[in-house]
Amino acid sequence: MTIFTLDEVEKTFTNGEIEENILKGISLSLKEGEITALVGTSGSGKSTLLTIAAGLQPASNGEVLFDGNNLTTMSDEQVRKVRAKEFGFVFQFAHLVPFLTVEEQLMLMLEVSGSTLSKKEQKNEVDQVLDVIGMEHRKNAYPSSLSGGEKQRVAVARAIIHKPKVLFADEPTASLDSKRSKDMMELIRYLTKKMNITTLMVTHDEEMLSYVDRILQMSDGMVLENE
Amino acid sequence: MNIGWKEIKKNKSRFLILGSIVFLVSLLTMIISGLANGLSQDNAALIKDLPEGHFYMSEDAEETYNLSRIDTDVQNEIMNKHPDAVALSIQMGFLNDQDDKQQSVAFVTSTNSDLFEQVNKGEVIVDRSLKEKGIKTGDRLTNNQLRDELVIKGFVEQKKFSHAPVAYINREDYKKMYNVEQMQLVFIPGEDSAQSFTGLQSYSNKDFLSTIPSYNAEQMSLTMIVSFLIVISGMLFAIFFYMMNIQKIGLYGILKAIGIKTSRLFKMIWTQMFFITIIALTLSISLSHVFNLIAPEGMPFHLTIETTTQLSIIFLVVGFIGATLSGLQIRKIEPLRAIQQGED
Repeated sequence: MTIFTLDEVEKTFTNGEIEENILKGISLSLKEGEITALVGTSGSGKSTLLTIAAGLQPASNGEVLFDGNNLTTMSDEQVRKVRAKEFGFVFQFAHLVPFLTVEEQLMLMLEVSGSTLSKKEQKNEVDQVLDVIGMEHRKNAYPSSLSGGEKQRVAVARAIIHKPKVLFADEPTASLDSKRSKDMMELIRYLTKKMNITTLMVTHDEEMLSYVDRILQMSDGMVLENE
Repeated sequence: MNIGWKEIKKNKSRFLILGSIVFLVSLLTMIISGLANGLSQDNAALIKDLPEGHFYMSEDAEETYNLSRIDTDVQNEIMNKHPDAVALSIQMGFLNDQDDKQQSVAFVTSTNSDLFEQVNKGEVIVDRSLKEKGIKTGDRLTNNQLRDELVIKGFVEQKKFSHAPVAYINREDYKKMYNVEQMQLVFIPGEDSAQSFTGLQSYSNKDFLSTIPSYNAEQMSLTMIVSFLIVISGMLFAIFFYMMNIQKIGLYGILKAIGIKTSRLFKMIWTQMFFITIIALTLSISLSHVFNLIAPEGMPFHLTIETTTQLSIIFLVVGFIGATLSGLQIRKIEPLRAIQQGED
């Protein structure tokens, strides 16, 4: 079942008098629970495509349809609500809140997403997720005392704790070594499959492609291959 | 979850430094306000303690009360029309105590009124500050311009004029001392608007205070210092939060990307601002009121709950404005830019 559709999406940047087409009419669909990787050379437009799909910047033309709703016609506040409730994000760096413990990072995400669970239920939910990512023993730790790999695992936990429908991951393993990158991808795959979360991921690491269901090759603002 | 409070808990030293600066600035402001009020009382308690109303002095006195002479007929006309009106005169002078030591005083005499102490001929009631200089009830004091002695009948609390203790004397004695028949001023209490009398100019209590030599200059200097301190405290908040926000642009961007409302980030700053300010103000109010109690007797320090409440409200409003101005940059932060930045 298709959950996400991009229809003839274009993105144009104006630099002085020069107009640059970063995305040239991209159309694609994402199926529920599927992990899709966007690959391509630097400047091919893959990160721009991901951020437009995630509602972090508007498209110049075209439509972004999520679960039957057109993100391109929504107000900023409506898009914010969709992002908070339905989307999860993992970036190249963990970007954790430095003054919140691991447990508080996840509790905050549940609160932001508008969770209707009681405080006790939320704590149980957090404990379960931390158990899955092997971080329960560090739940009272602050980010400054975590290793790079641990921080990124917490970032993944924060991205899925509220059970989003779509996970957007922009180079999630770029700041990790080879061993930790594989662990990270295994974790993302395990969690998204278990929770039936659709994933759109940007990566330049070919080793990570073995963990995805579908690869979209991008070049010069267009999708070349749809494997 | 109160993320503002969580940040304070995690970064105690950073917020302690800001809190300490706000505490010191607010304490200094309270102390200077106390001195300003104290000097104001020392300069004009006699006038400031009167109810709201209007003073009248002769037009040709050109706003100098001791050059004013109220025509007796006009005075009688006013007194007949306004039974609560009072005619009064004030002159700076000296009293010689029993050790022949000169004490500077402001002689005050008036027609019958509850607003000013009334004494019989040959008697004087003085401000309590003279008691600390060894003058007692029953003492016989002299004046170089008065042949007769003046007997101390009693003391009054905090009645000063032009930084000198007030000495209430009888009209007959005043006339002999200064060789004048007319009074200088007429005061009519409780009037909403001034009335017109031939040859007289009206002044509200506040306007009349301005005619006292040095009163305005003294108060303006102190008010300016207090105003600067308040502005500085607002700038402190604006600069502190601006610097903190600059460091957290990446974080704010990520928080916005995951769906946190901009208004929640503002609430975080406001919570921190109010928390710091309230603690700093509580400490500075307590300390300044302790100082009010232990200040040396001769120091003109007068700090009321009303003044500290007003200053506290001003500090909170200025702090709020400062913190809000610094937070305006949060509105401009785009999640996308923050994501593209490296980690802090």
